[in-house]
Amino acid sequence: MKKIFSLLFIFFVTLTALKAQEPTLPGFQPASYYTFYWNTAFPMGDFNDWVSQPSPAGFGFSGRYFLQKGLAAGFDFGWHRVSKIYDDETFTIPDKGLAITAENYRFTWMIPFQAVVAYHMIPEKTISPYVSLGIGGDYMEHRLMIQEYDIYETFWDFSLTPEVGFLARFGAFSEWGAQIGFNYKWTTNRIELYQTKSEHLQMLNLKVGISYLIR
Amino acid sequence: MKMKTKLLFLTLGLGLTFMLSCTKYPPQSERLLEDLAIITQYDTKIDFNNYKTYSIAASIIKITSKDTITLTPSESAKFINQIETNMNNRGFTKVAPTESPDFGIQVVYYQNTYVYAYYGGYWGYDWYGYYYPYYPVYYSSYSAGLANIELVDLKVFQPGSSTRYLRWNAYIRGLLTGSHSDAELLHTIDQAFVQTPQLKTSAQ
Repeated sequence: MKKIFSLLFIFFVTLTALKAQEPTLPGFQPASYYTFYWNTAFPMGDFNDWVSQPSPAGFGFSGRYFLQKGLAAGFDFGWHRVSKIYDDETFTIPDKGLAITAENYRFTWMIPFQAVVAYHMIPEKTISPYVSLGIGGDYMEHRLMIQEYDIYETFWDFSLTPEVGFLARFGAFSEWGAQIGFNYKWTTNRIELYQTKSEHLQMLNLKVGISYLIR
Repeated sequence: MKMKTKLLFLTLGLGLTFMLSCTKYPPQSERLLEDLAIITQYDTKIDFNNYKTYSIAASIIKITSKDTITLTPSESAKFINQIETNMNNRGFTKVAPTESPDFGIQVVYYQNTYVYAYYGGYWGYDWYGYYYPYYPVYYSSYSAGLANIELVDLKVFQPGSSTRYLRWNAYIRGLLTGSHSDAELLHTIDQAFVQTPQLKTSAQ
């Protein structure tokens, strides 16, 4: 956690220094912009114990409205799924005398929704780095499939997502661009399936999207 | 076509692709039903220490979608011997069927897709004649071969009664999916015992 905030701090300081050195270029600060993005999730900590592999199965949609120079507020929602097949493991239900040894499939799918506050350091430039904080929640469904047994549970949560990234326009005056973001997400979500007990699920996300800017 | 229009189509295309991939179940989840799996269940209300001997049918019953046949003892030997080895290692003693064994063991192999077949077993009763002291594992269908090892309590058998008491059974499924060596198949029998440590006796 400390490492992530340290990295965020270094990123912010570097971008501020770059901003001070950059010559003035033509361009415009958009009034707002919308991004449809593809998301790759990297489960961390207990969540990584549950599904120990990154998943590119995710997408989202976000919008940001500039309140004043550089400062924007908006929303972000999407759909993500992480999954992995595990080799033979033995599961037991002692009170029924039951034991199963088989491959099992673990997966979690989620619908994140957040309000976002972002600060773009050089919003009028072709490449506009930003830092942001998302505050909101998720709906998560955790599933454990063993043969035809399909055990699941669902939870709502509260989540925080600090993010760094940049918006790159396809030209100084283009209304289209690409957004790349990298964030750390902390949630109050948990997994209490069979013998798995995990709390405060965390993950890293890499977002790559296409953006439409409104002047 | 203008750049803006191209990008719009690109966005819509990407969006549609992602939406279509937005299924609850990940790919390959159906394959779990076809993989090799060992499922065991025992009667939690009995004490296996009260049992000492067993007898085992020398042949495996094979049920296909067309008929029911009995494999020869030589065809069945490898698997029957593996069960015997595990039973002996757990302290049970093999005796002849005429020596009033405490348990009777029978192996049935289903090769058909659906298991709703009636069969006549070695111990002279049919599927519906069993009394399960526990809720049996329920399957709606099988698609890739299933072996069922059944341990029947003969101590409580009442002559003339159609009810039999099943104390332990092991399903080994996925036998027709992919290729499995004899060593792998024999290992599944060992695993069935490994995951039922309760199946042992110290009776002398």
